[in-house]
Amino acid sequence: MKIKINRIELEASEGEFIIDVARRNDIEIPHFCFNKRLERIGACRICVVEVKGMSKLQASCCTPVMHGMEIETHSPRVLEARRMNMQLLLADHDLYCTLCKENLLCKLQKYASEMMIEDTPFEQLHRADPVDNSSVSIRRDNNKCILCEQCVRVCNDIQTVYAIGIANRGIDTRIIPNFCHTMKESSCINCGQCVVACPTGALTEKSDIPGVIDALNSDKYLIVQTAPSIRATLGELFGIPAGTAVTGKMVSALRQIGFNKVFDTNFGADICIVEEANEFVERVKGNKVLPMITTCCPAWIKFGEQFYYEELNKNMSTCRSPQGIVASLVKTYYAKKINKDPKDIILVDIMPCTAKKYEISRPELSGATDFVLTTVELAKLINQLNVDFINLPDSEFDNPLGVSTGAADIFGHTGGVMEAALRTAADQLSGQDLQAIDYSNIRGMDEIKEAEIEIAGKNLRICVVHTLGAARKLLDQIKSGKSPYHFIEIMACYGGCIGGGGQPPPNNKETLAKRTKALIHVDEQKTIRKSHKNPGVLALYEEYLGKPGSEKAHKLLHTHYSKKKYL
Amino acid sequence: MRILEKTDREAWRRAHELGPQKTIELLKERGLTGRGGACFLTGLKWEITRNTPADEKILICNADEGEPGTFKDKLILEENSETLIEGILIAAYCINAKHAYIYLRGEYHYLREKLKQTIKQLLKDVVSDLNIEIVEGAGSYICGDETAIISSIQNKRGYPHFKPPYPPSHGLFSKPTVINNVETLTNVPLAIIHEDWSDEFRLFSISGDVLKPGVHEFKIGTSLGQIAALVQAKNAKAVYFGASGGLIPFVPNFKVSQDHVCKEEAMLGACSLIFVSKNRSVLDLAINIAQFFTHESCGKCTPCREGNVHTLKLLEKIKEKKATEKDLLLLEKLSKMIRDTSLCGLGQSCTNHILTAMKHFPDDFR
Repeated sequence: MKIKINRIELEASEGEFIIDVARRNDIEIPHFCFNKRLERIGACRICVVEVKGMSKLQASCCTPVMHGMEIETHSPRVLEARRMNMQLLLADHDLYCTLCKENLLCKLQKYASEMMIEDTPFEQLHRADPVDNSSVSIRRDNNKCILCEQCVRVCNDIQTVYAIGIANRGIDTRIIPNFCHTMKESSCINCGQCVVACPTGALTEKSDIPGVIDALNSDKYLIVQTAPSIRATLGELFGIPAGTAVTGKMVSALRQIGFNKVFDTNFGADICIVEEANEFVERVKGNKVLPMITTCCPAWIKFGEQFYYEELNKNMSTCRSPQGIVASLVKTYYAKKINKDPKDIILVDIMPCTAKKYEISRPELSGATDFVLTTVELAKLINQLNVDFINLPDSEFDNPLGVSTGAADIFGHTGGVMEAALRTAADQLSGQDLQAIDYSNIRGMDEIKEAEIEIAGKNLRICVVHTLGAARKLLDQIKSGKSPYHFIEIMACYGGCIGGGGQPPPNNKETLAKRTKALIHVDEQKTIRKSHKNPGVLALYEEYLGKPGSEKAHKLLHTHYSKKKYL
Repeated sequence: MRILEKTDREAWRRAHELGPQKTIELLKERGLTGRGGACFLTGLKWEITRNTPADEKILICNADEGEPGTFKDKLILEENSETLIEGILIAAYCINAKHAYIYLRGEYHYLREKLKQTIKQLLKDVVSDLNIEIVEGAGSYICGDETAIISSIQNKRGYPHFKPPYPPSHGLFSKPTVINNVETLTNVPLAIIHEDWSDEFRLFSISGDVLKPGVHEFKIGTSLGQIAALVQAKNAKAVYFGASGGLIPFVPNFKVSQDHVCKEEAMLGACSLIFVSKNRSVLDLAINIAQFFTHESCGKCTPCREGNVHTLKLLEKIKEKKATEKDLLLLEKLSKMIRDTSLCGLGQSCTNHILTAMKHFPDDFR
């Protein structure tokens, strides 16, 4: 069908909404509550447009197109109404923008600036809600909430965690954790998807920058590790187009900031694969509990421990995450190697999500990591120290925990851990050095991806899933004893770690596809692309750990789970 | 009042003789329209639902009248629930629904037991396996909105939802759903059995500065003067249509009809007339009504949630004689903006009372 937007004739299809057609044709309409991945609710009314023949203004996010429709997105009437709704939001918002964590990143601030709103005619309402700092990952400040409900929809509909909901009505309406408890007591799994979704400073990561700055000014030995996905996303925060890996600049920046050693979490990823593949091969050969589920993602682990512990704890791999592995090695193996007391070493992890802040607080990991910064926090730290990121030269990770294979790089996107594990498991099960190592059927953005692979005469059914709502389907299937799979990868966030709760927005399909491509490109550039061929890893086993699955490996590289209660 | 007439399952028998299709035709012919305020042709609503392919259809009786000054459905629920239930049975039969819900206003809890007894008796009398469930609201005004009723019955927050999709194609639990008002469904059996039945007769809830408040049956087009005489309204200055319909000045020969009221930029809605006498300031009423809407806004959309608070603040400022010309202008602009951009019927109508009051009684705002 044909419609007209701002007097330009455009092609549209039945069932589309006005905003979708507009955006496809590069006509931007301001909006807060609209998010293509979430149910449309039409609540913010900022995206209203004028439709010829309709007496009232229409929310473009939830008004379906009709043939011959004539739409004005920026007519004087629209601008005036939009402006007044903005002013109403601002009159009920904490206006200390310069003192806000979301300063310069806030969408409310951006629109206010674009619409040249310099005052509001309305009396300032001054909510006085206490800030909820109870969670180790997420800071909740309802004084800045504009009630777009994106957080609630992400938490409930996409993640099926139901940690937050809506309470009260009218002007007293608030987003609250379960039954008005704190975030810490709620069923929150710390994934941070609500933080990415939040357009304002109402939900932000719990910042560890002050702690890191103190550490930088201490006489401790400072080590930092960076997760696989950070190299593919950090650049965006400095204006570099999505899909550009900035590994070299990132390492230089960290060195300039003052870290003594810059290690790569990828090294831990390679070890993780060696251990996990070993565990998987043992389970397959020994007819033990299957399917085995990967455990690199701390948000999924807490989800599993909260909702499925009794039934599924034996399905969870015991392997620590790459972050946990590097942390463990830094405070044991490496400390010994450089003759330092582990207490004199401070380890900072640059991670894609807020759940990693929770992971390091788990007692069984014995506090090996001191601080976790998210990608967004790292960019803030770089800016705070006035490091000229864009013009930095490239540099390399330090040894020995800086060597990695292509298999580790792809840990950052959905399907990557599985692909890396298969590269190793296939070699081990077949006893050969297989050449076909690209498992492209488990790449891509489908929420549930499955494949059947024949290795050494065995048919292995594998499944890769991202978002916990989708994971729930597989977990229920295992619970009912009907799972056809041998091996499952679960990542809590859409797209995997590149879409994590500490990554820069937007985490839409297009941006995530670009970030994935960047990681695949890094992988393809590497000469060694199988974890078990990593010379550093081989040397470490030779020198320190013994064999994969050895007692020492178990002590340092594996973990255990426990039932987690909430409320 | 004809609405209180017992039909003794006669209409149910008639409907069965005719079959669903012909019953719907008959109702369309009689011209029965919805009494909730939108005046949609009831037969047509049923027909759309009936013709939507689905494994299940649902009927909801909206018994959540919550508009200020509205109490006509209560009279029916108290005095003639038999005919109402008969109407529900006929509606369910016509749209082929196996489940019907009565969404009962929280404050009408005391009517629940009696209603249950009537349902039991009628189902026994006509040998129907229709499942009629009474769901009670929790006292929220917005849950009178059909999309909010759907959310509420589904155990969700009582939030309204944008349309389309409309309930007849996509309603409760995503099934095609007919939602009819109590008065509409009670009229169904009457319209079926009485050839002289007319859609023109409505129940009016009359209150305010009158000596004989209560529910009255009037023909559409009755003049305000006639009504005022009957209910003994003295010194009338204005008439409100509920709260959300806004007001018109009292003019004795003004004929009360949807069209006439609309021309005055007000809305007749569910025929709730609140008379205001000359010794009252419309401003006081505006503050009272604004307090109501501020309290009842569900909080979902920006203009209604945030805007109502500020209309109230501006009205109070005027009352305190602290308002400037600019404030009056802002109040008008804000009221129009809330009407123009809100999500649901509440938001789109909650400032009608201010706009009509400012237009007709500007001196009360000075």
